[in-house]
Amino acid sequence: MLSEYFHLSDQEMLLAADGELSTRRAAQIHDHLTLCWACRARMAEIEATIVDFARAHRQTLDPQLPPIAGPRALLRARLAERSSNQGSNSWRSLLHFTSATGVAAFLCTAVLIAAVVGGIVIRHSTRRGENSVVATLERGTLPDRSLTPGATRRVTISEVCSMAHEEVVGEVSTSLRQEVFHEYGIVNADPNDYEVDYLITPGLGGVEDIHNLWPEPSTSHIWNAHVKDSLEQRLHEMVCAGKIDLSTAQRDIATDWIAAYKKYFHTDRPPALHSRIRRCSPWQAKAVHC
Amino acid sequence: MPPRDSINELSFPTIADQALSGKPSQMECEVIELFEQFRDPLLRYTLSFGISVHDAEEVVQEVFLSLFRHLQLRRSRKNLRGWIFRVAHNLALKQLYANQRVHARTTSEWTIANEQFDPTPDPEEQLSSTQKRQLLLAVVHALPEADQGCLRLRAEGLRYREIAAVLGMSLGSVSISLTRSLARLIRADGR
Repeated sequence: MLSEYFHLSDQEMLLAADGELSTRRAAQIHDHLTLCWACRARMAEIEATIVDFARAHRQTLDPQLPPIAGPRALLRARLAERSSNQGSNSWRSLLHFTSATGVAAFLCTAVLIAAVVGGIVIRHSTRRGENSVVATLERGTLPDRSLTPGATRRVTISEVCSMAHEEVVGEVSTSLRQEVFHEYGIVNADPNDYEVDYLITPGLGGVEDIHNLWPEPSTSHIWNAHVKDSLEQRLHEMVCAGKIDLSTAQRDIATDWIAAYKKYFHTDRPPALHSRIRRCSPWQAKAVHC
Repeated sequence: MPPRDSINELSFPTIADQALSGKPSQMECEVIELFEQFRDPLLRYTLSFGISVHDAEEVVQEVFLSLFRHLQLRRSRKNLRGWIFRVAHNLALKQLYANQRVHARTTSEWTIANEQFDPTPDPEEQLSSTQKRQLLLAVVHALPEADQGCLRLRAEGLRYREIAAVLGMSLGSVSISLTRSLARLIRADGR
């Protein structure tokens, strides 16, 4: 047992308060504190300071934390994407043959399957013209997820819905537009070829942040900025009508806006009215409706 | 025969089947659960580096994607909390250096500290509480980086061993750092 004539060090008291001592040593400290008023007073000071700091730490930072729903949905989508990639890789590894006969058999089967599937695809394309699969391959219609995952601000439904969708869309600053082009490795871009667009529109809580902007080609004939405008308008209306929640709208548009368009407009292909090519300056963001 | 880890029992056809069926795998669910548990503490910790909320969110996302890879590769599951904070610490530092936003450090906590008030009804209590918080934060800001890190990680519930692993310090150094920091806070508070 510790003598009551000696005092504990701050370090020992802190270790005891934090539960970092062995059971035996902790019991000795406890016994000493029972007898020693000076150490008990010091222990109280230490514990009160810990409480004050922990409270200050949280009260200072907690107001900055956005709701978890959006980031959780984004993480879910990213994990699903990675699992899906891993799944396809796993199937490829399953098809790994070690014998020459196996390779030959595999190649013959693959050629046969390709011929059958190719025939189906060609017939399908001929019948429908530019099908949706081909259309989504228009370069740049979807942002690079690693560069543009989407970014939102803390916003309430009433804030989102207090203004018309187009009124809450701001213009992207010139410097930020240049940063976006730089990030995507686009040098000496022709202003007529791209529009720096929001992935999650400000009307749905998106922010003017490099993680939420990408250079959308103005030259896309089907899945272009006009079509995305229509989707944004639809999602804004649905959120404000209480048909979907804001985090779902944010997640869907950030994950794959073309898939979201198909989902919410119940069509594989936008009508010509939605796809009309813009005539205004593509350097302008959605603030300018031309 | 040792008990099999539930993650290890997921053979590749199961993962592939789940991926193709669109259902989240057991591992995805586990990562999401850990995200729900640690997202706020991690976000607070990464914000304390002075990076923006969006950067901090992105760091946290990257932490859990790394965790997913970590689990997929069947690496050690020992002390996952320490592992998560260590990755967050390294990524936040990397982000901070990339941003070169030295001035941001003074804006994040101070701005909020100056603007936020406790929801207590007594204005004198409000003022006193806010002043006390500002004082504490000023003292913390004046501490060496490592001491600040120890304090913040301890405030997020990490044990000394975990803090030592995150910051690459010895257990003794963590103990000394926390004792020194608390002594300064006590002196500043005039206790």
